[in-house]
Amino acid sequence: MQKLGEQTIKFDNPPTILDCASIVGPKEAQGPLAKYFDQTLDDEFWGEKTWEKAESKIIKETVSTVISKSGISIDNIDCVFAGDLLNQCISSSFGLRELSIPFFGVFGACSTFVESLSLGAICTESFAKHVLCATSSHFCSAEKQFRFPLELGNQRPPTSQWTVTGSRCSCFS
Amino acid sequence: MDPLETKKTYQDYVDKKSPNSPILKNCFNAFWVGGLICTIGQIILNICKERGFDTSTSGTIVSIILIGLSAFLTGLNLFNKIGKFAGAGSLIPITGFANSIVSPAMEYKSEGYVMGVGGKMFTVAGPVLVFGISASILVGIIYLIFNTQSVTLV
Repeated sequence: MQKLGEQTIKFDNPPTILDCASIVGPKEAQGPLAKYFDQTLDDEFWGEKTWEKAESKIIKETVSTVISKSGISIDNIDCVFAGDLLNQCISSSFGLRELSIPFFGVFGACSTFVESLSLGAICTESFAKHVLCATSSHFCSAEKQFRFPLELGNQRPPTSQWTVTGSRCSCFS
Repeated sequence: MDPLETKKTYQDYVDKKSPNSPILKNCFNAFWVGGLICTIGQIILNICKERGFDTSTSGTIVSIILIGLSAFLTGLNLFNKIGKFAGAGSLIPITGFANSIVSPAMEYKSEGYVMGVGGKMFTVAGPVLVFGISASILVGIIYLIFNTQSVTLV
C-alpha cells in the first residue's frame, strides 16, 4: 500500500467485494429499486417495541444475510466496520454484539458506508482476510434525533429529505 | 454563466428547480382550522359563563380542556395529521403548545422515564419557554422603571 499524491492510496492487492445484502423499510419498497433489495419490511417496527430496536434488528439481519450468502464462517471474519445515525451508534453496536466479531463503530452521517469501506479495505491490506462493512438508518429514529418527533404537528416542505429506513452490508476480502 | 459558480447563483438555481410549498392552500386551511379551534374555545367559554363561572375561571377551564384534548389527540396519532393539514392553524393556539410537549415525551419514552421523558420533554417547547419568560421579565422591568418614574413625577 502506498500513498499517491495528496489524498490517494494505492492498494497492492485491490480489495474485492464478495457479497452484499440490504434490507429496507416500506417506503423504499415502493420505489423503483425495490427489486434489488434482499428483503423489504411491511412496517417500521418489525415486531420490536421501539424504532431503535427495529433498526438494530434490521442491521443484525442484514449482516446475517450477507454472512449466509457469502458462505464464510463467522470465525473467518476478522472485523466489522459499522455505523448509524444514533447516539453512540447504538443500533449497530447492539445489533452486532451477538456476532462476537471485533467491531469498529464509524460515524460519518451520509458517508458512513464509504468510510467503513475505505477503513475495511485498509485492514484487508494488513491483517484481515475478510471484513464486513455495514450501515443502517431508520426514518423514525433519525427524525427524532435530528429534527422533530413524528407526533409533532408540523408541515414538511415538499423538498424536505426523507432518511432511508434500511441497512446495507458488504463482505469483502 | 455557469449556474453552479457562486453560492448565490447556486441558491437561485435550487430555488428555481425546487417546488414551492402551496402557500395559498396552507393559509386557507390554517385560517379555517385555527378559526374552528378558537370557536370551540369560545363555545366552551360561553357555556362556562352560562353555568355561573366568572370570566377568568372560564378562560382557565377553556385552556385546560383544549390542552387536554390536544394531548389526547397527539397520543392517538391524530394531531400530527391535523397539524400536517392545518399548519399554523393548529400550531399557534394553545393546542400546538400542548402537542409540542406531549410529542417528545411520547417519543423519548424509549430512553427511560427520567432521562428520556423527563429530560427531553421540553426539547421543542424549551426555547419558546426560555425566550417567552425572559421577554416577559424584561417587559416587567421596563414597566416597573417607567411606572415608578411617572409616579414620582406626578
